[in-house]
Amino acid sequence: MAEHAVVVDRLEKVFQVPERDPGLVAATKGLFRRKTREVRAVDAISFTVDQGEVVGFLGPNGAGKTTTLKMLSGLLHPSGGDAHVLGYLPARRQRGFLSRITLVMGNRNQLQWDLPALDSYELNRAIYRIPREDFAPLRDELIELLDIGDLVRKPVRQLSLGERMKAEIVGALLHKPQVLFLDEPTIGLDVTMQKRIRTFVADYNERYGATVLLTSHYMADVEALCKRVVVIHHGTILYDGALTGLAETFAAYKTIGVALENGHADLSRYGEVIHRDGDWITLRVPKAETSSVTARLLADESVLDLNVEDPPIEDVIELVFAQERPE
Amino acid sequence: MTTVPQTVERREAGRVRSMVDIYLTTARMAIASEFQYRTGHYFFLLGMIAEPVIYLVVWTTIADQQGGSVNGLSAGYFAAYYIVWTLVRNMNIVFGAPYWEYRIREGELNRDLLRPMLPLHWDIAWFAGWKVVMIVLWLPIAFGLSLVFDPTLSPRPAEIVTFAIAIWGAYLIRTMLQESLGMLCFWTTRGAAIFDLYMTVELLLSGRLVPLPLMPDWVQEISRFLPFQWAFYFPIESLVGDLSNQELVQGLFVQLFWILVGLAIFRVAWRSAIKRYSAVGG
Amino acid sequence: MNSIRVSWLFLKLGVLNELQYRVNFFVSLLQAAIALVTGLVVLALVYSHTEELNGWSKSELLCVLGVQILMGGAIRTYIQPNMTRLIEDVRDGKLDFALTKPQDAQVLVSVREVRIWSAVDIVSGFIVVLVGLSRVTTSLGPEDAAAFAVALVFGAVLIYCFWLVIATVAFWVVNMWHAVELFDGIFQTGRWPIGIYPTWLRVSVTFLVPIAFAVTVPAEALTSRLDWETLALAAGFTVVAFAFARWFWRFGLTRYSGASA
Repeated sequence: MAEHAVVVDRLEKVFQVPERDPGLVAATKGLFRRKTREVRAVDAISFTVDQGEVVGFLGPNGAGKTTTLKMLSGLLHPSGGDAHVLGYLPARRQRGFLSRITLVMGNRNQLQWDLPALDSYELNRAIYRIPREDFAPLRDELIELLDIGDLVRKPVRQLSLGERMKAEIVGALLHKPQVLFLDEPTIGLDVTMQKRIRTFVADYNERYGATVLLTSHYMADVEALCKRVVVIHHGTILYDGALTGLAETFAAYKTIGVALENGHADLSRYGEVIHRDGDWITLRVPKAETSSVTARLLADESVLDLNVEDPPIEDVIELVFAQERPE
Repeated sequence: MTTVPQTVERREAGRVRSMVDIYLTTARMAIASEFQYRTGHYFFLLGMIAEPVIYLVVWTTIADQQGGSVNGLSAGYFAAYYIVWTLVRNMNIVFGAPYWEYRIREGELNRDLLRPMLPLHWDIAWFAGWKVVMIVLWLPIAFGLSLVFDPTLSPRPAEIVTFAIAIWGAYLIRTMLQESLGMLCFWTTRGAAIFDLYMTVELLLSGRLVPLPLMPDWVQEISRFLPFQWAFYFPIESLVGDLSNQELVQGLFVQLFWILVGLAIFRVAWRSAIKRYSAVGG
Repeated sequence: MNSIRVSWLFLKLGVLNELQYRVNFFVSLLQAAIALVTGLVVLALVYSHTEELNGWSKSELLCVLGVQILMGGAIRTYIQPNMTRLIEDVRDGKLDFALTKPQDAQVLVSVREVRIWSAVDIVSGFIVVLVGLSRVTTSLGPEDAAAFAVALVFGAVLIYCFWLVIATVAFWVVNMWHAVELFDGIFQTGRWPIGIYPTWLRVSVTFLVPIAFAVTVPAEALTSRLDWETLALAAGFTVVAFAFARWFWRFGLTRYSGASA
């Protein structure tokens, strides 16, 4: 039976954000009395992650994903609730804890800028007290898996964004962490590079059984890697379960694609026309009406081809994210 | 559920060995990294000699006007004092408090906090490496200045040994003090003003401006109980002046005292600072 | 003349911009106070051990200190910000923006920046000068005051020419490290009578980095030691330096525009 690698219970993070009205008078008043506003970045969320699981955290900017990861890696103290990672309290930042996790943030450098990545790896070896015999084989294996070869000998500043990300990942995994926190790892990378990194993470998880918590606002990341998705918005969990169930829970509609003999027909009385591509028209209809609309179309129009689909997950998620914060 | 191939029981290399490794690796990285900017550093070194040369000229002028010496200090002494000054001044340059502001603001602190190591070690090791190179770069400058200004310098072996130790003691004292001061950056972004004040006090009381015996008596009294002169005046004086063996050893112990005091202050301040950082997220 | 209007506009804009950052004012005030206190302490120390330095009395040297602070303030307010920005623009390839404007490029790159809060140094330096003057035995006649003003202008122009030449060198040596710190270090030589420096230093500080003309000569005017030959030399040197700086600038510009294809 796999143990829980991560246990989160009603975790909260509240920030006091200073509020200032514009103008000289308000600024002067602000010198004496600070008005602050409470921002609930993370609002009593709970979930558990098993050892070896790969979980995707999906949410728009400001949803609370990064804040959650920061709390789980010990960078932030929770305002309320509990978090345990591998049995440790992250906030304590104990050595045993820090040696078993890794946090990789897209767009952030952990490697020394002016020097080859290899030098930074040596430093990690010393900091994490990795025995020399174990270090070299693992390092070389990671370099090969990520296919960066000689790039580790060039100063990091000479690498492209994608190459740098790969080098960062190697550095982050040298101490064989049991839990990987990946915060937007593919942000800013081109499509090929994104795919490469996703494949790598999947491989790594299979080889070493590491637990992976990944945040992203790219659906493609989550689709490629995670069987389980946690959707976060406004600091609360909106959905926690299998990826496949996502559309069912949120999508209240289906799309009907239809090709007619008369390509210019007006189909607006059947549903919302969202796309026209030559003879192919795409309609959006409420789920409940799918069969009735399909029947009417087939009956009243000369239909050459028709199919019924679930809406693409991106659209579903976009609608979810577009929801205003409940007051 | 995927089978978990191995939950690795971590093997770790020895603690002391690793710490030495960290210091050596960091020092090496510092040398390699800073070496790329060596020309710029050299210009900086050269620019830095303007200050002591000016003081040197002023005091030797006064000495010459007064018939050879000021307060018993000869022109040759002043020359020696300010030439050695250039080395000690450079040994005093550490990761200042402004660097902490940069660290926090640029998010580098997150990287440091994720490592199972106190950032202090990194700071000390990094500059230690660079100081070694700097000492080598300094030698020709010192030689050149000696040709121009004719210092009186004939140190005993005991003085040379003390000096060699004392410059590193000075480095550590200043490191501890500046790191502790840097902790203020966690509470305010306006640290610049406080640092300026600190630097001024240090300037006046450390022997950087003038050899301490030239300061009024009450200033010398106060300065004896503060750490500043032990990071500046003492190392210079150990080589250039006429201290007895007993005074040399005593001075080293005072240095050690201040290093430990500074370290204690830092640890307390650090704990508070991290608590604050983790609460507000920086 | 158009250049004057442009300069005035930039000045207004710069001042309005900086006025927003009120905190900088207090920081500048504090820094000016610290610099002043340090200077006074050194002066006091020196004169606790001697009556006069190279023929200058304490109050006279106080005037020198005042002029040095004043001039330093002027440099940091108007000259250095523009020149350092010029160097950065060359390094980052942003100079083209300035070159494609209809104004004369030299005027543009010389007037677009201003650090208004450094002006506190100008004020504090002036106050120190007044204090020093009040204690000087020889009184200040109108010719001396006029000579002082003229000498100050010459000095400022010379420093500007120096900085322009340094900045122009940036066209070739793209990395101008620590130029400001280097200059500030050398500028400290202005606090003391240049007579005390060894010859090589004295000559460098007069003709290489025109600090003697920027600080010592105006101070000499104040303390009635200035002879008209020195002033004439200053005038001549200023004209020559300005012509050279301008020529060098245009030379560098043609090289720059030619190089970046």
